[in-house]
Amino acid sequence: MSPRPLVRLAGRSLLVHKLRSALSILGVVFGVAAVVAMSSVGEGARREAIEQVGALGIDSITVRARPGSAGPGLSLRDAEALAAVVPHLLSVAALREAALVARASERQMDVAAVGTVPSYERAARVRRARGRFLTDLDVKERKRVAILGASVARALFPLSEPCGERLLLGGDWYEVVGVLEGRAGGRGRGGPIRTRDINRAVLVPLPTLDRGGDSQPDGVDEVVLRLGESESVVEAAEVAKRVVGRTSGAAVDVIVPREILRQKERTQRIFNVVTGAIAAISLLVGGIGIMNIMLATVAERTREVGVRRALGATRRDIAAQFLVESSLLTATGGILGMVAGLGGSTLIQGLAGWPTALSPWMLLLALVTALGVGIGFGFYPAWQAAHLEPMEALRHD
Amino acid sequence: MVVAGAAGGKTLTVVVDLRGVGKTYVRGSREVTALEGLTLAVDEGEAVAIMGPSGSGKSTLLSLLGCLDRPTRGEYRLDGILVSTLDDDALSRIRNLRIGFVFQAFHLIPQLTVAENVETPLFYAGVSEAEGRRRALLALDRVGLSHRASHRPAELSGGEAQRAAVARALVTEPRLLLADEPTGNLDSVTGEEVASLLESVHREGRTVVLVTHNEALARRAGRVVRLRDGRIDDARESRT
Repeated sequence: MSPRPLVRLAGRSLLVHKLRSALSILGVVFGVAAVVAMSSVGEGARREAIEQVGALGIDSITVRARPGSAGPGLSLRDAEALAAVVPHLLSVAALREAALVARASERQMDVAAVGTVPSYERAARVRRARGRFLTDLDVKERKRVAILGASVARALFPLSEPCGERLLLGGDWYEVVGVLEGRAGGRGRGGPIRTRDINRAVLVPLPTLDRGGDSQPDGVDEVVLRLGESESVVEAAEVAKRVVGRTSGAAVDVIVPREILRQKERTQRIFNVVTGAIAAISLLVGGIGIMNIMLATVAERTREVGVRRALGATRRDIAAQFLVESSLLTATGGILGMVAGLGGSTLIQGLAGWPTALSPWMLLLALVTALGVGIGFGFYPAWQAAHLEPMEALRHD
Repeated sequence: MVVAGAAGGKTLTVVVDLRGVGKTYVRGSREVTALEGLTLAVDEGEAVAIMGPSGSGKSTLLSLLGCLDRPTRGEYRLDGILVSTLDDDALSRIRNLRIGFVFQAFHLIPQLTVAENVETPLFYAGVSEAEGRRRALLALDRVGLSHRASHRPAELSGGEAQRAAVARALVTEPRLLLADEPTGNLDSVTGEEVASLLESVHREGRTVVLVTHNEALARRAGRVVRLRDGRIDDARESRT
């Protein structure tokens, strides 16, 4: 028995009661729509977390002076001590930060001026598009050279090659010697990972960055450490905390992106369980609706079953007919729900401003689940139809 | 009286062969015997009318003959096949290929077109759609309903509906045509139409068993078997 006529037949039977069929799949439509919309929110949050953590690097640690704390801040001595003590260290870089205005000819832009050292390139995994990075000589001789983030280069020098040009940064003239590669995403929107937008940064030698009236001449805001293996970040973070406590006693936050990712994953798992539970409940309700309507259909078409049995349909043929019908119902519901879910997800992104993302697997899973509901909840009515006694079914009116 | 059959030189001539068949239903705690010790043979090409008052076991006999049910006692051979012990799937196959049903209330499937109704047995026989459609149209042509092929059963008159049902019954070229009060829902004019259609089917050599209350219709069959209280009333069996 080929499936095509079966599907056509099922479609025809469902169209006999258009309103009834439409109402019966509402549960599945809403269930699938809710699953798709909610999982798109979850997936969006997950991708954002990964992007943020990816920008920092899963194998990195950031030691940052706690903002607004009294007492001594971080200093270069801390950076040196960390470099000496923390195990599996690949690279370490101290940096100082200031929000300044950069100007070149008539154009200007608010930038994050970052005073740092050559090892920052490796520690923070920044990539150069053109020119060179900072050198030890730049730092030693306090050269006024600058490396521009991609957005800064585009904004200040839209038409010309920035390398070799000059720009005014917080009252001093700098020569542009390099441009960084643009980095997608990683724009921290609050939350535990406040990532610097490297695209809007201007990197200069650490001692060159003058913030005016620094209490400590060798004070730094942040030390970025990158480890040879991401497994050792937790251990390294512990060590870093103790080291800083001993050397300067500065109040610091040690940010471990890997741990933040773990935390987010845990939150995500809870979200997934809740979403899954809601999905299961709504699909259960949808499935009961389908079973209800299929039982009514079987009762209504008992005589048709009898006729078909007389004409040679086996029990399996009858069961297949009703199963195809219930599956067609829920598959239609699944597709409609998917469309509604996609609309809902777009709406959430537009109105609430949450990032949403959809994995094709999720859509496939939603559709397969809808089909599964059709088969699962259609099974009992189909079984019932298949086991009607042909003669009694024929006499039924 | 063994005569060489038309098909492949086989010597099967008895289409229906009931031997000591009985049927007992269990209704709640009591047993109801619907048929008892029934022995009946219908030869190929014969037309037999089964008559009898309500409750005489006509319907039960029809469901046994049509392989819709199994006897509780005795043996039933259809076309030489011992069907009284077959399982449900095998019985379905027998019904599909060897039996054509015509019901009192036509029993066309309302959501299908006339042609699709006629195709239905072929669909279960695994015949391809194109071939099924071709044979269905031939069968409809045979009963003079080609022009109604794409209509819905609800658009047909009673006589047309029963002719479509006959086309459906014949589309698989069954060995046995079973008709249950085929004219019972029809007025005398359309009833006559259907009766002569069945007659012509019989004249072409098809074995026909019909169950009816209608004496006139029964007499048009060559042989009348009368049932009483679940037994054949031998004294009143008549052949013309």
